[in-house]
Amino acid sequence: MLGNLKTGEKGRIMNIAGTDKFVRRRLLDFGIAEGSEVCIKCILPFGGPVMVESCGQCIGIRRKEALRIEVERV
Amino acid sequence: MMNIALIGNPNTGKTSLFNNLTGSYEYVGNWSGVTVEKKVGLFKNGKDQLIDLPGVYSLNPLSKDEGVVTNFFLEESFEKLLNILDASQLRRNLHLTLQLLEYGAPVTVGLNMLDVAKNRGIQIDIEKLSKSLGVHVAPVVARSGKGCKELAELATGEATVSSEKTLVYYGKAIEEGILQLGQKLNGRTRHPVRWLAIQLFEGNPYVKTYLTTFLPEAEIESIVDSVTVAQQQQSGGIQALDQVIHRKRSDAIEKIVSAATTIPVDGKIPLSEKVDRIVTNKFLGIPIFLFMMYILFMLTFDWLGFPLSDALDAVLSGPVTAGITAALNLAGASSFIQDLILDGIVAGVGGVLVFVPQIFILFFFISLLEDSGYMARVALVMDRLMESVGLNGKAFIPMMIGFGCNVPGIMAARTIETPKERLMTILLTPLMSCSARLPVYALFVGAFFTGNKAAVVLSLYVLGVAVALILAKVFSKTLLKGETSVFVIELPPYRMPQAKALWRSTWDKGKGFVKKAGTFIFAGSVLIWLLAYAGPEGVNVSMDESYLALLGGIFAPLFAPIGFGTWQASASLFTGFLAKEAIISTMNIIYFVPDEASLQGLLAIHYTPLAAYSFMVFILLYIPCLATTATIYKETGSKRWTAFSIGYALVVAYLLSLVIYQGGMLMGFS
Repeated sequence: MLGNLKTGEKGRIMNIAGTDKFVRRRLLDFGIAEGSEVCIKCILPFGGPVMVESCGQCIGIRRKEALRIEVERV
Repeated sequence: MMNIALIGNPNTGKTSLFNNLTGSYEYVGNWSGVTVEKKVGLFKNGKDQLIDLPGVYSLNPLSKDEGVVTNFFLEESFEKLLNILDASQLRRNLHLTLQLLEYGAPVTVGLNMLDVAKNRGIQIDIEKLSKSLGVHVAPVVARSGKGCKELAELATGEATVSSEKTLVYYGKAIEEGILQLGQKLNGRTRHPVRWLAIQLFEGNPYVKTYLTTFLPEAEIESIVDSVTVAQQQQSGGIQALDQVIHRKRSDAIEKIVSAATTIPVDGKIPLSEKVDRIVTNKFLGIPIFLFMMYILFMLTFDWLGFPLSDALDAVLSGPVTAGITAALNLAGASSFIQDLILDGIVAGVGGVLVFVPQIFILFFFISLLEDSGYMARVALVMDRLMESVGLNGKAFIPMMIGFGCNVPGIMAARTIETPKERLMTILLTPLMSCSARLPVYALFVGAFFTGNKAAVVLSLYVLGVAVALILAKVFSKTLLKGETSVFVIELPPYRMPQAKALWRSTWDKGKGFVKKAGTFIFAGSVLIWLLAYAGPEGVNVSMDESYLALLGGIFAPLFAPIGFGTWQASASLFTGFLAKEAIISTMNIIYFVPDEASLQGLLAIHYTPLAAYSFMVFILLYIPCLATTATIYKETGSKRWTAFSIGYALVVAYLLSLVIYQGGMLMGFS
């Protein structure tokens, strides 16, 4: 899961169907879907959001949503 | 004259481009959704009008802000589109472009941020891109204005075309659905059927509502259902229609982009990421934010703002007042006119104007935070805290803007996608201490807390935020239960703020304050002075016999338990509803003093330090000003919530001031 990666680790998204409907739409808007390569840029403390980079753009999502995104490590 | 709509993704430099194409003074920001109102400007070449639309990723809206764009496409009339793209994020940007091409209006594409793309090693063949899209594409540097003239000529020229080709084939099921809807509509709509159908299948609620004016809802739904079933049979998957459509578009975009660009070879770490490693650091993120706020307050109140305001005060009360007096004497004005001008207008308006330097410093820093891209990071850093009270990190941005003025703060809440969180943000933003409240604090801390001015003022700002967070928790547990909170935010790359854009942005925000001093405060000062000049006994009565004293006296006993039961205090609170800085004007007139320093001397007689603090807390919370109340009504569309926003503020302000004043007395403060 994306939420299990550590700072600096990279992964390829396998499935985003498990996320909240709204979050999924936004991820698609940002061009992040199955097959996209992502990298964890930073993880905020106390269960805060994670900052994810994909194709040179950065987005922030909550940890609990990141835990619903299937990735494989690359 | 034609109407051309400017459209593009958020953070693509749309607002900068608008400013450069129209040469008008507009507001330039860097976090998602700075453009919240519809703005229209005239092209510099005078040919056509340009309409600035909010940034959107798709025509299928998620937030109210984005709905503005969809509604515009459905309801308003315009002739052409100008689509701005971020060259470094071409794939994502083209999703919107494809939808625009499906709409069928002539499109011109402006390709921005080619330099960013180049830095990443991406080379774009503009000619090829133009050919595969079937419309004109022109390079442009929105921030500097390079290429804007050529783009304007293209966009306003005769040769603008709409794309002739069908760029995306959505598969048999969807294509048949489009034909089916076309037969039912039978040419009754003025919009292209293909566009309407695809938006409908994607689940666009605005398009669905639009279609119900032509077809019964059940018929529309049955088409959508049959297409869904047919699609699933053909593909053998269970993907929803919107996912299928997105996938088909992505495939088409992949073809276009791979033909027109060279793929980058991965290289160096951009500066933006290096900065982000520090400011959104696990441990340093929040301390850095607090430190920035501390610097902001020290500069506004202590280091820079106070000396400047004092100097301006000296000029206004010295040479300016003397000059006006001399001019009035020379003109042989009656003593009534002299009193009105000197004690009413000069005292009232001047008392507010002296705070212009401090307010501009504050607005400058807010603009700096927005323009640099730091604001979105603040939202990210604050999300965990906001989540714990039932809001999301994005709600922090309207609140930060609210420190400048509550009105744009409340409007900025439109970028919050979930209705519940948006409503809460609207209701709570007035608790952010806006710049108009600042003069009141500045006056009182100058009189009572000279040793630690910035600390006392900072305590009020923090109190406002704390009360907002506590109330958010309370509201989300009681009045506004349910609905899950979500948070996805784009973090645009840092940009070096440009002096010109920064100055425009600061001036744009600050000019409202100066304008208000010339209109609202001016008129208010005349009225207050007249009310203080006349009484039941006649005119030129002693102040304690005036109508103003009479009015204030009715409510004064109410305020006695919280430390300021004088008619002067309650009279100024009334004018404070019109505009918070009017409190200062009123006090200047009531206490009959020409400048800030002598007013502070007088206040020391009427207030104890504890009562002064209680008064400041009350001013911080007691009521949104008239303009804010009107904005709350406009944004919520509900009289009930507007009344609620006033009611809860009054109750909370009174209770808190009561606790502070009575508690302070018990503890032996005075």
